[in-house]
Parts: sequence; C-alpha cells; structure tokens
Amino acid sequence: MTRVAPQLDDGPAAWRFVPRNLAPLGAALGLALLMHFVFQPAAGSFASKLALDIAVNIILAVSLTMVNGFTGQFSMGTAGFMAVGGYAAAAVTYYGSFRLYGSPNPPAGILSAFGDPTGLPLPWLQSGDLMFVAACLFGGLVAAGAGYIVGLPSLRLRGDYLAIVTLGFGEIVRVVLQTSERRLSNAEQIAGTPWPKLLTHLGGSLGFTSIPYFTTLFWVWLAAVLTLVVAYRMKRSSYGRAFLSIREDEVAAEAMGVCTTKFKVRAFVISSFFAGVAGALIAHQVQSINAGELGFQRSFDVIIMVVLGGMGSISGAVLAAGVLTVLPELLRFMADYRMVVYALALIVMMIVRPQGLFGVREVWEVGPFRRRAAGSGAPGGGAT
Amino acid sequence: MTPPDAPLLEVASISISFGGLRAVREFSLALGRGSLSGLIGPNGAGKTTVFNLLTGVYQPDAGTIRLAGRSLPGLRPHEIAHAGLARTFQNIRLFPDLSVLDNVRIACHLRARHTLAGALLRSPLHLLEERGMLRRARELLGIFGLDDRRDEYARNLPYGDQRRLEIARAMATEPKVILLDEPAAGMNPQETRELAGLVRRIRTDFSLTVLLIEHDMGFVMDLCESITVLDYGQVIAHGPPAAIQRDPKVIEAYLGAPAAVEGGVPA
Ligand SMILES: Nc1ncnc2c1ncn2[C@@H]1O[C@H](COP(=O)(O)OP(=O)(O)OP(=O)(O)O)[C@@H](O)[C@H]1O
Ligand SMILES: [Mg+2]
Repeated sequence: MTRVAPQLDDGPAAWRFVPRNLAPLGAALGLALLMHFVFQPAAGSFASKLALDIAVNIILAVSLTMVNGFTGQFSMGTAGFMAVGGYAAAAVTYYGSFRLYGSPNPPAGILSAFGDPTGLPLPWLQSGDLMFVAACLFGGLVAAGAGYIVGLPSLRLRGDYLAIVTLGFGEIVRVVLQTSERRLSNAEQIAGTPWPKLLTHLGGSLGFTSIPYFTTLFWVWLAAVLTLVVAYRMKRSSYGRAFLSIREDEVAAEAMGVCTTKFKVRAFVISSFFAGVAGALIAHQVQSINAGELGFQRSFDVIIMVVLGGMGSISGAVLAAGVLTVLPELLRFMADYRMVVYALALIVMMIVRPQGLFGVREVWEVGPFRRRAAGSGAPGGGAT
Repeated sequence: MTPPDAPLLEVASISISFGGLRAVREFSLALGRGSLSGLIGPNGAGKTTVFNLLTGVYQPDAGTIRLAGRSLPGLRPHEIAHAGLARTFQNIRLFPDLSVLDNVRIACHLRARHTLAGALLRSPLHLLEERGMLRRARELLGIFGLDDRRDEYARNLPYGDQRRLEIARAMATEPKVILLDEPAAGMNPQETRELAGLVRRIRTDFSLTVLLIEHDMGFVMDLCESITVLDYGQVIAHGPPAAIQRDPKVIEAYLGAPAAVEGGVPA
C-alpha cells in the first residue's frame, strides 16, 4: 500500500475554495433577508418574536452540542457564557455609541431595529451596524476566553464534577456582574473615562439597561445559519471525528493520537464563542441584560434541547430548539407546570432513549431517510 | 543518530508499582526493525502493564524506553502514537457508536497537516487530506476484510471483527511498532489461523515491527521469532520459541505442567 502523499494535481480544484465558502454565506444572507423582509411583515409581531427566539435557541443548542454532544463533556455553563458575551457586547455598543456618536442612538441601517436611515447614503449598512457586528464578535471572543478558563478543569474532571464546576462558573459570573458599578449615562463623564474603567460600569444589580436596539430577524438568522455551517463542517471533518472519539472512549482516542486535552478545551472555546454571540444578540433585542435572570434555569433550557435532540446531532438540536421554543407558547395555560413537564420528558427520554431522539446522527440519517443501513442486529459481542 | 542496526524499540529495566504490588520489575526488551515477537506469561503477570508503560498510559518508576532513539517516558499517549508506537486493547476499546470507517479515520487524523480553520473553510489541503484518509482507511479495512461493513456501528460487529478492527485502527496511525494485546482472544481456530496470516502480511507490507501478547500458545509459537516470558512482573525467559518451550522455568511458571505449554495454555 502506498502512503497518500498530497499532490496538487490530485487535489480538488483550488479555485472552488471561494464558491465553497461564498455559497453558505449567500444561503445565510438569503434566509436572513427572507425572514426580515418577507416573514416578518407577513407573520406579524408575535410570530416574528417567536422566530427570533427560535434562531437564538438554535445558536445556543448547537453551541452546547459541540461540548455535550461532540466531546461528551457535561457543561451547564451556557447561561454564564451568554451573560459574559451579552455584557461585553452591550458595553461596546452602549459606551461606543457615546464615544463615536456622542449619543446613545447609533446610526443604523434598515436591517437593524433602529433602521430609518432615510436620506443617508448606504441605507443598508450604517457604521452603527458595523459597531454592532463587531460588538457581537467581541462578546463571542470574551465568552470564548471564559470558555478557555472553564475548559481547563475539564482536563481533570469528568461527569458530575465537571457539571458542578461549570455550574459554579455561571454563579460566579452572575455575582461578579451583579456587583459591577452602575451604568454611566453622562456623555461627558463617559468621554472622560478610559475603556478598561468603562467595562467595570455594567449596571450592577439593576442589570445593563438602555442598550441600543439592533437585533432583528435578519441578524439572528444570519448568525444561526452561520453557526450551523460551522458546526456541521466541524462534525463532518477529521477534527469533528476527533471530538467524537473523546466522547466514545477517551483512552482509545488518546492512544490513536488525539490530544484529548487540547480538543476538550477547543470544544469549550468554540462552544462558548457561539453562546456569547447569542447573549450579545439577545441583549440588543431586549435592550437590557441582567445576569440575575441568566441563572441555572436558562442553561437547563438549552441542556434539554441538546438531550432531546440527541447528544451530537446538530439537526436534532435545531429541531428540539424549534419545538421547545414554540411548545411553551402553545402550552401557556399550563406555564406553571412547564418544568414538571420538562423534567418528566427528560426522565422518560433517559429511560426509553438515553441517546436522545437522533443520537449522534442527523435527522436525514435515520429512519426512512437514511442512505445506507448503519447496522442492525444484536448488540456487539461484549467487550470484556 | 542511532546506528542502522540498533534496535527500533529499546526498553531497559523499567519498573512500576501499584501501591505495594510491583507489577513490573526491571523489564527489558529490544525489538529489531521488522521483528515479530511475543510477550507471554500467566494471568496477572504484568503483560498489559508493560504495554501501558510503553504507550504512556502509565509512567515507569524507573528505566528507559527509546523508540528509534527517542526517549518515550514523560510523553503523553497521543505523543507516543505520533512517535510511531500504536497499540490495540485487550478489553476491546473501539469507538462503539461510530461507524467502522470512522473508527479507522479517527486514527488517521494524527498525520493530517491541515488546521481546524482549514477544515471549517474546506481548504484544498483539507479536502485533499480527507480524501487521503478515506482512501487509506478503506485500504486498511480491505486488508482486514471489513470494507463491506464500513458503515456499520463498531458496536454491532461480531467479536472477531472487532478485534481485527482494533488492529486496522492502530495501523491507521502509520506506526513503526505495533503492540497487539491478545489479538486472538475469543476467536475460533479458523479465525486465529487467518489472523496469523494477517499479522505476517502487515508486518511485511508495512515493514512493521510487531510485539504481541497472546495466551494461545500454538499461535504465539507458530508466529513469533522470539518470545519473552513474564512472571510476577519479571522476565524469566527470552529466546526463540523452541527454546522457550523447553525452558524449565517457563514450564514451572505455567503451573509446572509441561503439557499445558505444548498443548496451548488456555486463556
Ligand atoms: N492500574 C492498576 N492499579 C493497580 N493494580 C494494577 C493496575 N493495573 C494492573 N494492576 C495489577 O498488575 C498486575 C498485572 O496486571 P496485567 O493486567 O498487566 O496482567 P496481564 O499479564 O496482562 O494479565 P492477563 O493475562 O490476565 O491479561 C495484576 O495483578 C493487576 O491487578
Ligand atoms: Mg493483559
């Protein structure tokens, strides 16, 4: 057998690299524009808000899938990462607006909620939008940094212990943010305060309020589709298989050359980035963010989506995110029992189908859709 | 650099204790390039522990291990796999909920040079290497007669196939030396015979150095060129199969029953 040495003439045409990446970007833009300009006016404000929540929950569920599903680490820190990302992004847009435009109302194009840029050049994209996008990325990066720190204990802890650490992380974030300084609102004072100092004025126990309103269906669906593209490409690659191998058998993964420590931390970092972006998006929709409301409960909502959808199934997580966003609205009359229903569903799931609805597979890989039988028959000859 | 005739894997008096139990004592071994050797001994003699020491699962309390001149102790298991030492597990440790193909492809990853960003952007190098991994994995599966089952879950394979998949997976790391921990355990005589042929074949085709643990004496004596016998963590004999079979210390270690050695000591 010959070693497979890469040869350029053997390779896929290099120029296709561009369309290969423009295509998903175009698809994301297309869907986002459709949601913004067609769905929103047609469906009305209630359904639009629901569609917005679905997109945010898709980002969150897919992000958690990367840790809990791909590498099999059990993180309960989603809400903490959302808070970190949300506050970081809010500080950028709020104080950034004062610094750049001298007012809390940054200029925004028609894709953003402020959008009434009549008479301005470039009505689609104003500089405020760019600041908003940069803020979301910044929120994601700060959350990714937090993910790195939280990921480190995952090298030594597993299962319940890691879950407790991530839970503790969420609580620490909550307490730190709630004891931050009050939000500044005097333009001159803000102009005279250096950025590192500004980042300690995050509103304290009242939460960060008066955040500019940017997040629309366009931005959330753009972010959701891009998250999906990243997650799917990751799963369907050599790196994704390495992530999955850790979940399957850490000792064997290590013996086959997978640096399990690096991959575990990587999973935390990438996952937290997207959770941070989701937090940033929510903050610029609700126009306020309060760490007090981003407690364990919020993490739990996302965990349920991942567990129901299937540990490692991206489409399963998307489906569960959709269903579990819509269902509470339909069951509003029994809102008090929501947690009871969730808990029951989880228990039943754990007994009947512990791997989740779709396990590690995608929706189109199971049941009547699957291409090729992925094996049947008796469980394999027992490992000793 | 190491002289060309130096042993590829050189182990010099490694020891390890678990609490009061001295599981491996002053174990030494030298494997020449392309050699096929056996490691035998009664249950609990410390054979698997030797493998765990070589592959970085445990760190030796004392002693040296060199692979092609490079010192291994202190390296993590994945680094040792990179260095060219691969293994299979006595208690099969496949990736049960992944396909047979993915089991092998995962082991190809360590030779990939593209980055995570390259994978996310589907860079030309990524696609090229993915193709290479697929091709390589399927070639290996073909050798082990598993290509037809590549889309099945590893957990659903029959026992013998799982054992062979373990070897195929270890081969995918492109090792210089492969350690097989009881590859024939649980196989019927027919499968065991075929396995011996496979081991010979991969040794030649991949110019591989093989060290295997096995309780099936017929298999070991027939296949291996030299054998090391371990008892209570210590090497009690080392030499060609014919000499080992006659060695009184070996016979005594196996319950003092010469017949057991000749007829194959049960696992
Ligand atoms: N991690 C560990 N902690 C404590 N004791 C251990 C550990 N690993 C192995 N041992 C002990 O070391 C001794 C050697 O075990 P080992 O698994 O190497 O034997 P073996 O020769 O492979 O036996 P078998 O033929 O049954 O596979 C045994 O007594 C075992 O209980
Ligand atoms: Mg053993």
